[in-house]
Formats: sequence, C-alpha cells, structure tokens
Amino acid sequence: MPRIFLYDIAHGRSGDKGDTSNVCVFARKPEVYKIILREVTPEKLKSYFGDMVRGDITRYEVESLSGMNFVMHHALGGGATMSLRLDSLGKSMGSAVMRMKIKVSDDELKGILANGMKLMPFEDPYEED
Amino acid sequence: MKKIAIGGGQGFWGDSPDAAIHMIRKADIQYLACDYLAELTLSIMARQKIKDPSKGFAPDFVTRLLKEVGREAFEKKIRLITNAGGMNVQGCVDSIKSWAEREKLSGYKIGYVTGDDIKEKIPKLISDGWEFPSMDTAGSDDTNGVSFEKIKDKIYNCNAYIGHEQIQKCIADGADTVITGRAADSALFLAPFAHEFGWADDDWDNLARGIMAGHLLECGGQGAGGNFMYDWRSVPDMVHLGFPIAELTEDSFEITKAPDCGGLITEQSVKEQFLYEVLDPSNYYTPDVNVDLSHATITQKGENRVSVAGIRGKKRPDTIKLCVGYHKGWKTVSMLSFAWPDAYEKAQYCSEVIMKKMKERGMKADDVHISFIGLDALHLGVADKSPETIARLNECVMRIAVFSEDKNECAKIIPEISPMQLNGPQGASFFGGRAHVQEVMALYPTVIPREALRVESHILTV
Repeated sequence: MPRIFLYDIAHGRSGDKGDTSNVCVFARKPEVYKIILREVTPEKLKSYFGDMVRGDITRYEVESLSGMNFVMHHALGGGATMSLRLDSLGKSMGSAVMRMKIKVSDDELKGILANGMKLMPFEDPYEED
Repeated sequence: MKKIAIGGGQGFWGDSPDAAIHMIRKADIQYLACDYLAELTLSIMARQKIKDPSKGFAPDFVTRLLKEVGREAFEKKIRLITNAGGMNVQGCVDSIKSWAEREKLSGYKIGYVTGDDIKEKIPKLISDGWEFPSMDTAGSDDTNGVSFEKIKDKIYNCNAYIGHEQIQKCIADGADTVITGRAADSALFLAPFAHEFGWADDDWDNLARGIMAGHLLECGGQGAGGNFMYDWRSVPDMVHLGFPIAELTEDSFEITKAPDCGGLITEQSVKEQFLYEVLDPSNYYTPDVNVDLSHATITQKGENRVSVAGIRGKKRPDTIKLCVGYHKGWKTVSMLSFAWPDAYEKAQYCSEVIMKKMKERGMKADDVHISFIGLDALHLGVADKSPETIARLNECVMRIAVFSEDKNECAKIIPEISPMQLNGPQGASFFGGRAHVQEVMALYPTVIPREALRVESHILTV
C-alpha cells in the first residue's frame, strides 16, 4: 500500500493547556475524513510519539466539521512554564502529527490526487518501516 | 433585524495593535474586545507588581491603543472591553483616567470588574474546609504529584476565571471602556452580545453562541489567516493582517473582517481556530456555559465571510476554574552553533563534553533537556534524523536546558559554554551573550465553588 504524509490530506492547529497538548485535525476534503479516522487512531498516535507524549491520548470526533480533536496528556515536557523544550507551548505539535505517514489504498490515492490534494515529497512511498 | 458586530483586537500581551487600530478606523463594529491574558501572564504581572506596585497590568492598552484611537472610538461610540487590568485593575483604571483627562474627554465612563483576585482569601477558604483539589482542564489529575499543601507558601497569584455577568453590568451602566482582571477570554465577547440581545443567564444555546464568537476572536490574527496550516501561502497581505469580526443576529452567526486589510476568512481558517484548545468538543467548559460543538457546521458564505451554526449550550458548571501561579525553581538555556561539515555530530559531541564536565563539577540538576536546532529541537522524537538528512545539514545549534530548584546549581553550567569555542569540537560559535538563570513559575490547576467569589462592577466617570 502506498504511504503519504497525513499533511497531504489534513490540516489543523495545536494549542496547550498546562502540560496537555490539544491538536485539532480536519480533512482537507470531506471525502478523505474516513481515511483519517481509520489511520490516525489514538493508539497509533501514542506509538508514533513514543516518550514524547507520556500520558493518555483521547480522540474526540466532530463529523459535521470532518474534524477531530486529539487531547494528549503529559505531552509538553511539563507545559508552558516548566518545559525545557524549545517549543514549550507545543506550537509545532500540530505539524508533528501531520508528518505521520499513513497508508492509503491505490484507489484512495487516485481519489486524493483527483480531488486536487498535493503530495509532499517523500523518499519512497512504498517503503515499509 | 438587529445585528451586532464585535472585533477581536488582541491575541495576547505583546500582540501588535495594528489590526485593532485599523478596525476602529475602518470597520463597522459596535464593540472591540481585547484579550491580553494567556495562562502564565498573570504570574508574570504578579511578579512585576511585587517589584513595583504601580505595575501588574498591560499598559499597552493605554499607550498603544487608546492613545492612537481611543478618542475616535469614543466619538464613534465603539465600546472597548478588555482584561488588560491583569493583576492591577485599579492601576489600569487610573492610567485610563489620566489619559481621558489629558484628552479632555469629560464624561468618559470607565467600567471595571473586581473580585477575580482571591489570593488573600486562601487562608479563609482553607479554614472553611476547601481543599483546592488538583485537576486539569479535562478533569483528571495533571499535577505530577504536586499538592496544594506543598505550594501554598510559594504562590504568586490566585485568580478565578470570572464570567460575563459583571462585564455586562458595566456595559448596561454605560461604560465606554470596561476593564477586568482574569475574566475568561470569551466572556469579554459574550457580555456585549448578552447585553444587546437581552439573553438570560440560563439561555444556554444563545450564551454558547456568544462564547464561540469570542473563542473565534480571542486569539486575534490566528482567527483570520495567521498560523494557518491549510495553505499559509494563500494568505493575502500578511503585513497588514486583519483580525476577525463576529456579527450576530438573533438567528445568525457570521465571521468576517474589516475592509482594506490582509488576512482571510475561509471555512478552513475558521475551522482551525474553532477547535483550538477546546479539548472535548461536547463539553467545552466556560464559567458562563458548557458548550457543545459536536454538531456545529461552518460554511463559506462569500468572500471573507463564513457562517457558523449548530452550537448548543448546557448548564454552566457549579465550580469556577482558578489560575494559581507559584514559584517552581530555576532554569537556564545555553546554545552553541556549528557549521558543515559534520554539523550535528560536532554539536552532539560538544553536548557530551559539557555534560561530562558538569558531572565532574557536581551539578545537581533536577532536569536536563538537550536538543539540536536545525534537526530535532521542535519535532523531537518524530523529526527526520535519517543519515541522509544529517549528512546534508548546513548548520546545527546545540541547545542545553537545565532546571533546578537551586539557583546556584542551575548557574554552574553557564561559564562552561563559551570556552568550547577554543576547547571543543571544530567551529563552535557562541552567540547571544552569556545565558541567564530565569525563574520558573508553574501553574496549579484547581477549582473553587462559585459562591466563594464576590465579583463586583464599578463605574468611574471622568
């Protein structure tokens, strides 16, 4: 199966509440919302982030907006005030989610391209982890 | 049908006043609300006020906004609402009064709201049996084992997130400008809508609409094409980025912006701000209403005009969120830059040398974070660190951040950085001057019962 960046079919924004990172993710077109629901589960995100996110991850879906909120606990190295990270507010957590590689079928990939979405350059879309 | 338009003039303390000034001059609005307070801002203001009792608020509201367009706003009857009062509402009111006197605006009415700062009441609340339970905004424990007992002697500020009611009272009493301390950001925007449309304090669906109008405006430019992931290249004229305006009638809710400015209002720009920092979209808690966004719709209506619908409200919570800032310890950040060839390897090796030295010096750090700007300082573990990427790096900045509860321990690393230019791996370049030790303040998330607060409104006529 071909792999693409989540960014190719989604957009969003990250914010912070203490040590909790909140990343909202929206489908670039309603047609690809179901791909995001299938590919970006809280479990996959948790394993993707590893020790960057130490707490639970919850996904809240808002179908009427083709969107969802990911709430990630203990995700900012202590949060705004205490974090030693360069990005203590997690402003780049949104793009960190977006650079996750997701699997799409050949038909889905055709649909994505036919719908006008563009793919970011990628070393080898068929390469496995 | 009656239509009320409110502009969002400020996203945080330090934001540019340009868009707010432009809105007063060019936009068809009846109110402009300005949010100056982020989570930590009050702790910073509290520290300033300890050093100088005349400080502790956002003077920019007067020196950068009122000075420029305060008179024009008054003449056009555009009323201003802001939480610029921070930790010193009275100081902010005095500063506005002096300005209005200098401008000879006799009859200028300054409304202000007190009662959010409850630091003095803590001993009484404790003796009354209130335990200040630790909870984050999602309701679970998020304090890494810190209890209120451990921090109560190190508190800088303790402020309640107050709702719209007393702000609305100031507006009803004819205030030209309303000043608050820690009002919830969105309450600044809900208050004028509730006043104009006569919404009751339990008209949950309408209160929820007013709150979401505020939510879409309270981050300023971020609601109009700033920080826009969908297509940042498509945002027109970022030099003169406009801020969003919410227009409400009894049965419609639209977001737009002022004429003759940059930025954009599209379905996607509104969406990105809509769920920003909302956590659970079915239960977005504010002091005024528990908002349910889970069936909301966002639809493009025209150029730079978007319609929002389907927002519902539920009964407001019985407790009020508190913002408690306390002294946590000290930190220092040191950096050195390296160029091709082997930029990353040299930076990485240099950090190892420094940390071994610090071990020999016996530095007792409670936490150390090492990252490499240009490679992984932002995306950390999910950054692309393939050998090909590393080999191609033109340059790389070593960054070592140290936290300690003991200021002296933290300071030990500072003199060890610049010598690496002569004593370390090839090409280390020291920049920005010697690092400083900075105080670390932390937030303790908790709530108190609504009845424990006494929030009051006041009017001062110049």
